[in-house]
Amino acid sequence: MSDQDQPDRDDRTLAGEYTLGLLSAEEAAAFEARMVQDPALRALYAQWAEDFAGLTDDITPQAPPALVWQQIEAGLFDDTRARGSWLRRFTLWGGGLVAAAVLLLAVFLPDLVERGPVPPVDPPYVAQIAAEDGSLVVQAVYDDATGTLFVDREAGGAAPGRALELWLIAGEGAPVSLGVMPQDAQAILAVPDDLRRRVAGAVLAISDEPQGGSPTGAPTGAVLAVGPVQES
Amino acid sequence: MTTRADIENMIMRVAQRDRAAFKALYDATSAKLFGVALRVLNDRAEAEEVLQEIYVKVWHNADRYTVNGLSPMTWLITIARNSAVDRLRKLRRAETPAELEERIADDGAGPEALAIAASERGRLVACFEELAAKHAEAVRRAYLEGETYADLAARFDVPLNTMRTWLRRSLLSLRECLSR
Repeated sequence: MSDQDQPDRDDRTLAGEYTLGLLSAEEAAAFEARMVQDPALRALYAQWAEDFAGLTDDITPQAPPALVWQQIEAGLFDDTRARGSWLRRFTLWGGGLVAAAVLLLAVFLPDLVERGPVPPVDPPYVAQIAAEDGSLVVQAVYDDATGTLFVDREAGGAAPGRALELWLIAGEGAPVSLGVMPQDAQAILAVPDDLRRRVAGAVLAISDEPQGGSPTGAPTGAVLAVGPVQES
Repeated sequence: MTTRADIENMIMRVAQRDRAAFKALYDATSAKLFGVALRVLNDRAEAEEVLQEIYVKVWHNADRYTVNGLSPMTWLITIARNSAVDRLRKLRRAETPAELEERIADDGAGPEALAIAASERGRLVACFEELAAKHAEAVRRAYLEGETYADLAARFDVPLNTMRTWLRRSLLSLRECLSR
């Protein structure tokens, strides 16, 4: 860290603060983006997570009521019952969960692209995915009800012969690709049903990749810009 | 007795969408995670809802549990703690300044100190004991109560930057002690 006012700031304390949830959304996003590419930083985080989990050693286990399991099962597996209790499910699951990343496929909606993408009106979530020096700035708005992620590239773009790839980093998970950013400055990405709730509170990041996107499924180039998804 | 290997094995099978393994994992771990959620939230109804969220996350993310190299129980406890803290902070955002004042004034330090003293993790206990009592308390409150720098500064009645410095130095001391 170059911050001269904070000589006590190093990656060990930063990882500890991240584990405790003491960083601001922006700081946490930047830390997660660094963690993606730095195994040593991931190890520091894992160390703190193990140590702090020890603080729960003395917490007495308590059997939850049977209803909890029934609702988990109904929510995940029982489509017919789920439909009947849609409203209840909405209140249970719709509260903007922060979750570890899972496989996420971006699907471009051809009909919307033809008409030109239109950002959702009054979107519940927004993110500014920006490089520190402003060389790349992408505004994103996300509607969790429809799984619509609208992106607007305001500054910067892919280097010649390269592509920009958008990643979702949620909780303790590895980054998951949301797809290669299209040539057009504005585009709409559709987030699959089962993943819609996972965007809220996550971090979006953009990396420099070969044309067609990362060949490995994980970011291979530099992380150019990051930004937390926040309630609008 | 469910061993670490058993839990790891269950998580691996959950990653392959094995519902029986998911139920077995729930049976083996839900009491612990419910205990954690209750400890953080101190409210049964909220803890029950959070427990549902926790296992939905476990079901969806079991295939990524190895990514950060956490042990299986730490992975589960971290999901539980973070989910409960997220919920708690959401609830606290609705607090009025007067309610905040009352909350900060209400809960004493007693149970915390007892809890850590009884811990089986001797190394962790010893390292917390090396910190000044207030500093150890701040770190524990950040983890178990989800308190932010602003909460902690108000509780210990110090400026925000002083709180940051305390906490960072405490983390550094802890890390150095735990690495010995």
